[in-house]
Amino acid sequence: MITDLRGLTLKTPIISASGTYGYNNEFDVFCDVKNIGAVVTKAVTLAPRAGNDWQRIFEVPGGLINSIGLENVGIEKFLEEKLPVLKSENIEFIVNIAGSTLDEYLQLARICDKNSIKAIELNLSCPNVKSGCLEFGTDEDALYEVVSGVRQEFSGYLAAKLTPNVTSIEKIAAAAEKAGANAVSAINTVKALGLKLQYVNGEFKKEFVHGGLSGRTVKPVALSCVNRISKAVSIPVIGMGGIYCLDDVLEFFSVGAEAVQVGTANFTHPDICEKLANDLEEFMQKNGFTQLDELKCKLREEVI
Amino acid sequence: MKKIHKGIVKTIKEAAKNTVYMSFEPENPMEIKPGQFISILCGGLTLRRPFSAADFDGKEIAILFRRKGKGTNYLSGLKPGSEIDFIGALGNGFDVVDKKSLIIGAGIGIAPVSYLKKKLDSGILVGAFMSKDEAPQGISFDEIITNDGSAGKKGSILDHLENLIDNYKPEIIYACGPAVVLRAVGEAAQRHGADSQLAMEKVMACGIGVCKGCVIKVKRGGEINNMTVCSDGPVFRGSEVLWE
Ligand SMILES: Cc1cc2nc3c(=O)[nH]c(=O)nc-3n(C[C@H](O)[C@H](O)[C@H](O)COP(=O)(O)OP(=O)(O)OC[C@H]3O[C@@H](n4cnc5c(N)ncnc54)[C@H](O)[C@@H]3O)c2cc1C
Ligand SMILES: Cc1cc2nc3c(=O)[nH]c(=O)nc-3n(C[C@H](O)[C@H](O)[C@H](O)COP(=O)(O)O)c2cc1C
Ligand code: FES
Repeated sequence: MITDLRGLTLKTPIISASGTYGYNNEFDVFCDVKNIGAVVTKAVTLAPRAGNDWQRIFEVPGGLINSIGLENVGIEKFLEEKLPVLKSENIEFIVNIAGSTLDEYLQLARICDKNSIKAIELNLSCPNVKSGCLEFGTDEDALYEVVSGVRQEFSGYLAAKLTPNVTSIEKIAAAAEKAGANAVSAINTVKALGLKLQYVNGEFKKEFVHGGLSGRTVKPVALSCVNRISKAVSIPVIGMGGIYCLDDVLEFFSVGAEAVQVGTANFTHPDICEKLANDLEEFMQKNGFTQLDELKCKLREEVI
Repeated sequence: MKKIHKGIVKTIKEAAKNTVYMSFEPENPMEIKPGQFISILCGGLTLRRPFSAADFDGKEIAILFRRKGKGTNYLSGLKPGSEIDFIGALGNGFDVVDKKSLIIGAGIGIAPVSYLKKKLDSGILVGAFMSKDEAPQGISFDEIITNDGSAGKKGSILDHLENLIDNYKPEIIYACGPAVVLRAVGEAAQRHGADSQLAMEKVMACGIGVCKGCVIKVKRGGEINNMTVCSDGPVFRGSEVLWE
């Protein structure tokens, strides 16, 4: 199902989300990765990162909270070891990059450009070191500065990935469009605290993880974000958050997403990306839709 | 072959207090070694639940699990003939070496080492439990230790570790159980100049080393690095683990 993201063409609108699919063909042990629209890599930073020390995964009803802390191999090793596999395996990919200063984003963008990487996704949910703990993606001006700066350095397809942890995600999305992004991706994880108490021998034992919530439970939040963003921008929106089945995909299309990403569901059903691509194709064939746009138009007839 | 499988439950029964033995036959033939594990989809839960192979006869895989929460309660409700959806075999198993060995399973940690014992020509299998009724049926122990003294020697495995090593003089100790036990085993082995292989646990998401949800710190070749329990492990040498 040819998917035109205005500047990036994919064979299906089903994309694997950053942080849940590795760097390249790791999920080949479960399905055929080259059959999905694209793999978004784990966030790559300038220097390798060891990530957080404490417990990193905390399951909650309908999802999980993660605090991986952006553990990754760093851009150098990515280019050396991971990129060649993407190329030799013919996997469509988008490199997710993250910085803790404006300069780090710019350097990463420059390196990606120099290495002829076709598409990048800016992870804007990282704390901005300069402004304390504030995330780049929570402030219109900081976001505009990063996205427009990266735009200067990178000539390929540029998607800005937004955090839902803001008052008005549509305003942030508009700033990304103004700064020259080709697309916005939403949503990243929802700030959350996983907590489990146990009363043992007169004391409360606490197990807790501060992190980001994802999975089925965030879908209504994600749908609302994508709905509002699509009304505010004219660039394509790549929707995600809690997608587990074809109905979920169609719901995201109906609120304006042009493509979708699947994250946490890969842990539950590791062959789900390929399966959703097949399910979509089957649904369209069975119901006489020849083009994805036709299906999307139908889904958007009634404005939500 | 892909690592996602369907399986049919063959046997499911109580093996000890709050402990279930379940065997199942994968739809397509596969292999699983001692220390390797599978991860089972449990109803509508987001995360699959990891379990070590407790036995494998070339056809059926057996697991032994303790009822703990939603996932294990779901599994204990399955019946012979029920279908399960699982991924595996995951991780690297024990490195089975032909050396004089002591094999320790503390609590439900007995699951992987009881399978390992079958692959070792010799080796002393020690089971450590809170009480006799926690010791799963069908396992032949060389020694049993119970906290309440209801079977075998009384006390915790930690109390008996030094004596066991002095008695059996192992060149290698294999162990699975709570982190405090593994740590003590690793340290005791080092003190006695023995090697150790410890099967570790961490909450897991992907099971194949990509999400970095299950890392521990490991010292190898003078360098400290993160390693994933699911794919670099779950078995690590006691001398290389940096304990939390
Ligand atoms: C490699 C490996 C092998 C294992 N082998 C066995 C086995 O052979 N027999 C057995 O009884 N148990 C084994 N465990 C532990 C088993 O996976 C947990 O007891 C089980 O996941 C608990 O699920 P629950 O929903 O019943 O409990 P809950 O406490 O409700 O689970 C909540 C969450 O924490 C996770 N979790 C809880 N305890 C553990 C744990 N000890 N390790 C990892 N994740 C945990 C669960 O997967 C779930 O995501 C193994 C764990 C690992 C990592
Ligand atoms: C374990 C884990 C790691 C993640 N790592 C990243 C990351 O490195 N960069 C990023 O932009 N998003 C990351 N995300 C967010 C996902 O890409 C996605 O935006 C979010 O999980 C919502 O989608 P889902 O509900 O389908 O998982 C991560 C999510 C999870 C669960
Ligand atoms: S569970 Fe994902 S890396 Fe181990």
